[in-house]
Amino acid sequence: MTRTTTTLNGTLTGTLTGALTTTTLKVTAVAGAAWLARRALRRRIRTSPLWPLPALETPISGYSPRRLLRALIVSRTEPADGVVQLTLEAGDLPAWTPGAHIDVVLPSGLTRQYSLCGDPARAGVYTIAVRLVDDGRGGSREVHEHLVEGAEVRIRPPRNRFELRPAPSYAFVAGGIGITPILPMLRAATTAGADWTLLYGGRSRASMPFLPELSAYGDRVTLVPEDEAGLPDLAAALSGVRPGTLVYCCGPEPLMAAVAEAAPDPAAVRLERFIATAPASAARPFTVTLERTGTTLTVPADTTTLAAVRAALPDTPYSCEQGFCGTCRHRVLAGEVDHRDTLLTDDERADSMLLCVSRAKEDHLVLDL
Amino acid sequence: MSNKPPAAAPAQGTAPAAVVSEHTALHARNVSFGWEDTPLHWLPGDPFATHTINVLHLLLPAGERWFVHVYKQVLPYIKDEQLRADVVGFIGQEAMHAAAHDDVLPHLKRLGLDPTPYTAQVDWLFEKLLGDRTLPPGRARVWWLKERVAMIAAIEHYTAFLGNWVLNAEELDRRGADPVMLDLLRWHGAEEVEHRSVAFDLFMHVDGSYRRRARTWATAFAALVFLWQRGARFFMENDPTLVNGRASVGQFVRAGRRGVLPSTPAMLKSIPTYLARTYHPSQEGSTAQAAAYLATSPGANGGVVPADGGAAR
Repeated sequence: MTRTTTTLNGTLTGTLTGALTTTTLKVTAVAGAAWLARRALRRRIRTSPLWPLPALETPISGYSPRRLLRALIVSRTEPADGVVQLTLEAGDLPAWTPGAHIDVVLPSGLTRQYSLCGDPARAGVYTIAVRLVDDGRGGSREVHEHLVEGAEVRIRPPRNRFELRPAPSYAFVAGGIGITPILPMLRAATTAGADWTLLYGGRSRASMPFLPELSAYGDRVTLVPEDEAGLPDLAAALSGVRPGTLVYCCGPEPLMAAVAEAAPDPAAVRLERFIATAPASAARPFTVTLERTGTTLTVPADTTTLAAVRAALPDTPYSCEQGFCGTCRHRVLAGEVDHRDTLLTDDERADSMLLCVSRAKEDHLVLDL
Repeated sequence: MSNKPPAAAPAQGTAPAAVVSEHTALHARNVSFGWEDTPLHWLPGDPFATHTINVLHLLLPAGERWFVHVYKQVLPYIKDEQLRADVVGFIGQEAMHAAAHDDVLPHLKRLGLDPTPYTAQVDWLFEKLLGDRTLPPGRARVWWLKERVAMIAAIEHYTAFLGNWVLNAEELDRRGADPVMLDLLRWHGAEEVEHRSVAFDLFMHVDGSYRRRARTWATAFAALVFLWQRGARFFMENDPTLVNGRASVGQFVRAGRRGVLPSTPAMLKSIPTYLARTYHPSQEGSTAQAAAYLATSPGANGGVVPADGGAAR
């Protein structure tokens, strides 16, 4: 009897110990696996905070083309009479390519565009040069009077409407301060091994910036100071260019018109024009063609483009009706737009408009609607 | 969303009842906030609460742009003029919210906390996963549109909850929160309270099925919990001023007790509220309080240096 009990007890203990060992093993295995999994997850989250979601290749949030950047003016020089050159620095300045410009938001709130004329390879540094225009709209005067070394200036990220396209050869034409977007192009063209010439006109040598920099390029550069040599002979300079040569010109409006006329192939001419924000003129009636719908409407002087479009397409999205929320932005296929909003960047203005406030500059627009 | 006439009104007691006096005409406000002087820990001495609220800046730019994107597509399905006017006002308000929060992100980057690793993934979520997808026109496309409209209604339940909370979170004032950040949150919160019924009304108008409401609530709630805890963790771990920064549920509960974050019991209570068959957003929050804040908000009234540099005419 006693012996049986002992045996029984022994079997029970043995089974219990066995069960306990198995349980301990299982718990250890589970805990170990959990620890490993947690460590693996942590490691992934460190580099990918929302793992397992992938990231959008070109992030959108936080990269609005309208965002303001703040830069410090680290140097201010006068490379020519009436021209100041500002070097701006900040840790988060985006990269740029030759031909790009930035918006500078002046202390008074005026916004002006200036081409970047430094070296794109220098990260975190922008250089602009501004000529004082006496009869201008006050922007250049403000730059000359208020943007001093050590001051902070608000700018918007660079945009490029004057991109340097690859070509075997280039003919650059600059007039006065119009040298600014051309200057980094010369460096890029040289690096790319392209064949190029520069025709650089100005009032006098003293008023033409960057002459020391340009002297390094030797006889590729032709200087034409007006007080010594008169106006540049564009016909002579451009008639001899080889086919395939791209012509880049920045300068006063008459110079750009003359270049467009003198170039043997008008399709090869690239001009840098800054859109002047003229004060809003009185509203005039005009017509709008809705390309996809296939109708043409008249927008009377006292009606907005949006109201006229909605009469034909009632589900056209819109909201604030004052040009700041951007809901009614639409693609423009043809026609010059009189932009009256306070939202769009000039890049966006190149091919779109806000229907609620903007109108046609001439008398016709074609919309992708 | 269908050409069928609207279904007969459900039996009394199960239909969502709107509080008519809470309705107000909606319009977008052109706001501007200057971030120059806002410190990284804008709620002094409380990085966890600061960063938990900062998660809003990570989610809202992409999320609210998505709302606008979806709602633009719903416009043709709205057969009620009053609702259409509400949706039009809602779209503009959401577009401004997205832009205003987007402006905070470069500021965080300047302060040494680059949000891009997180926001690029949020961008993917809203642009790709929840985007338009390649669907055949007809039923599939309409189904996906309805599903997203229902998700937005569920998310808006939480934005209204948070809006109502921040309008009443006096503890933030007592602890010296940065005035510009507080104004951004309260302007946004007030507009969320002001338009709190629109997303739900739109959902009821185009679909209204209870099953879809419950299903999309579950999706939205799970997504919000996931995004929020990862966001708080991301900020705490990457904050350049913190050593071994951590985010935890315990900190969240304690911050809720202190009144610097919504309280956990209140958050749990909001779940059955949304799932009640008689729920209507107008039953919670006060339009009058929202309107009162909006009337005095510096950001909504041009009281600060305009962020666009004063180019506004």
